Amino acid sequence: MIGFIRDRSGFEILLALVSIAYLFAFAGVPFIFNIVMSMQKVEMMNLASMQRPFVGLENYRDVFANPDFWLIVRNTLLFLGLSTIFQLCIGLALAVFFSRDFLGASFMRGLFLAAWITPAFAIGQIWKWILSGDTGLLNYALESLGLIDGPVYWLSDPDLALYAVIAVNIWLGIPYYLLLLSVGLAAIPGDLYEAAELDGAGPVARFWTITLPLMRNTILALVALGLIFTLQQFDLIAALTSGGPVNSSNVAQFWSWQLSFQKFDFAAGSAVSVLMLFVVVFISAIYVASTRAERSS
Amino acid sequence: MSRRVTSYIPTLIAITVLGFYLFPIYWMYATSLKGAAESMQYPPTLWPQDITFRHVEVFNNLGMGRYFWNSLVITCGVVALTVLLGTGTAYALSLYRNRWIDLALFLILLLQALPPSLMVTPLFVLFNMTGLLDWPRLSVVLAVCAKSMPFYIVICRTAFLSVPSELREAALVDGDSRIGVFFRIMLPLARNVILISAVLIGIQSMGDYVYSRSFIYDTELLPLTVGLSTFVGAEATNWLGIMTYTSILVTPILFVFVLLQRRLVSGLTAGALK
Repeated sequence: MIGFIRDRSGFEILLALVSIAYLFAFAGVPFIFNIVMSMQKVEMMNLASMQRPFVGLENYRDVFANPDFWLIVRNTLLFLGLSTIFQLCIGLALAVFFSRDFLGASFMRGLFLAAWITPAFAIGQIWKWILSGDTGLLNYALESLGLIDGPVYWLSDPDLALYAVIAVNIWLGIPYYLLLLSVGLAAIPGDLYEAAELDGAGPVARFWTITLPLMRNTILALVALGLIFTLQQFDLIAALTSGGPVNSSNVAQFWSWQLSFQKFDFAAGSAVSVLMLFVVVFISAIYVASTRAERSS
Repeated sequence: MSRRVTSYIPTLIAITVLGFYLFPIYWMYATSLKGAAESMQYPPTLWPQDITFRHVEVFNNLGMGRYFWNSLVITCGVVALTVLLGTGTAYALSLYRNRWIDLALFLILLLQALPPSLMVTPLFVLFNMTGLLDWPRLSVVLAVCAKSMPFYIVICRTAFLSVPSELREAALVDGDSRIGVFFRIMLPLARNVILISAVLIGIQSMGDYVYSRSFIYDTELLPLTVGLSTFVGAEATNWLGIMTYTSILVTPILFVFVLLQRRLVSGLTAGALK
């Protein structure tokens, strides 16, 4: 046995198994447990016990029947869709700009990440201050430009709160697209552009005929990964609006947490969580499969 | 002459864009340095006029020392556990290529995608059932570690992949044991990547909010992020205090970022693309 570990592949198998066992215990088991729990009657009384009555899909029925359910589905789709479209477009524009060879280009591109690396909960507090209705900087700036007459309550107006949260999330996600699209841009051979320029293609034509077609796979992979990151966004919503006012800016990943930890309805929380986890696993399976296929071909 | 001037135009545009982009971070520092009256003044002053340092006062009044200590405990715990368990796995998964390894990598990448805010419900109930919640900070460490481990394994595996396999084979032919090869040859070669990944994971754990907010109910054990939310909950419009607190929380992270910028950026790129 000791010889197997010391001199044959036993040691390496052991190394691999340690963290796989860890991940199984702290991610795999909770994942499966979550599915089981979503089909049980969970109350504060039986929270600590193993035995809970089985109720089938009743928790799911309750979630679907919740008056806020469709509002939250709509918000989540808007949050995902708008965040991704704007992050991608702004990120791509900046990536193309920073791919030009000028003084300090790569250094300054890296500095954008300062926003991405800062705890999102802290970033949320800063934006809450900028967006605040009565003393916020944004209202002052818009007022001096003559764009608005009185204060706009970005985070407490039910019609605006979701869009304000999305706007901050777009801001937060730009460095991710900027940086990873730059890696893709750098891989496009420069002679392609030179040849196109000789043929008389202007910068706009070069972008549509060379950059975009060659970047297609990179963009698709990054969008899949970006969607996953957007679905993980929690801290920003907790800092800015906590889903309010009256759920107008609530999204599924935050709602699931609220149901469990503020309403103490763990059954509903885990049902929402199971539904969302399937979405996440679906997107990431596509992403992983596509990147693997690409590299092996 | 005009040629040289125009060649600086993209740089000037870039500085302007970057300045606009990072303005919120400036605004946090600017607000935290203003005097009490100036901070609430409307229209606001863009540049602090009455520069006042109250960081030490806020730090002491809010008992931020214990929050800092708890953040440090959680961060160090996550980094130590991830590096201890993950490095070997990254190495083992870099050695061979077969169906089982592919399956393991596929599952690891899937785990990386699971949002903490969705995993926190089952983890809380499980930790509650097993009694782990009696050690709230340990619970947070275990949960955050399960989140950061896949990312760490993916980055470190690419570092081990880039080591030529001849080095390892030569050492094995010379009679070195498998254990010796790992500790004496592979680990030193991957040292830089391990360090950078550890820093990235440290930054990530320091910013953890979901798990700490859900598992820790004793004020004495809260980390900086949840401490901030308690403060905001009590004094929602004390922007001067909130910005001062935020700047104390953010400065160490930004300091590390600026110090290691180039390496952190390449580490993040590798982790996201592989």
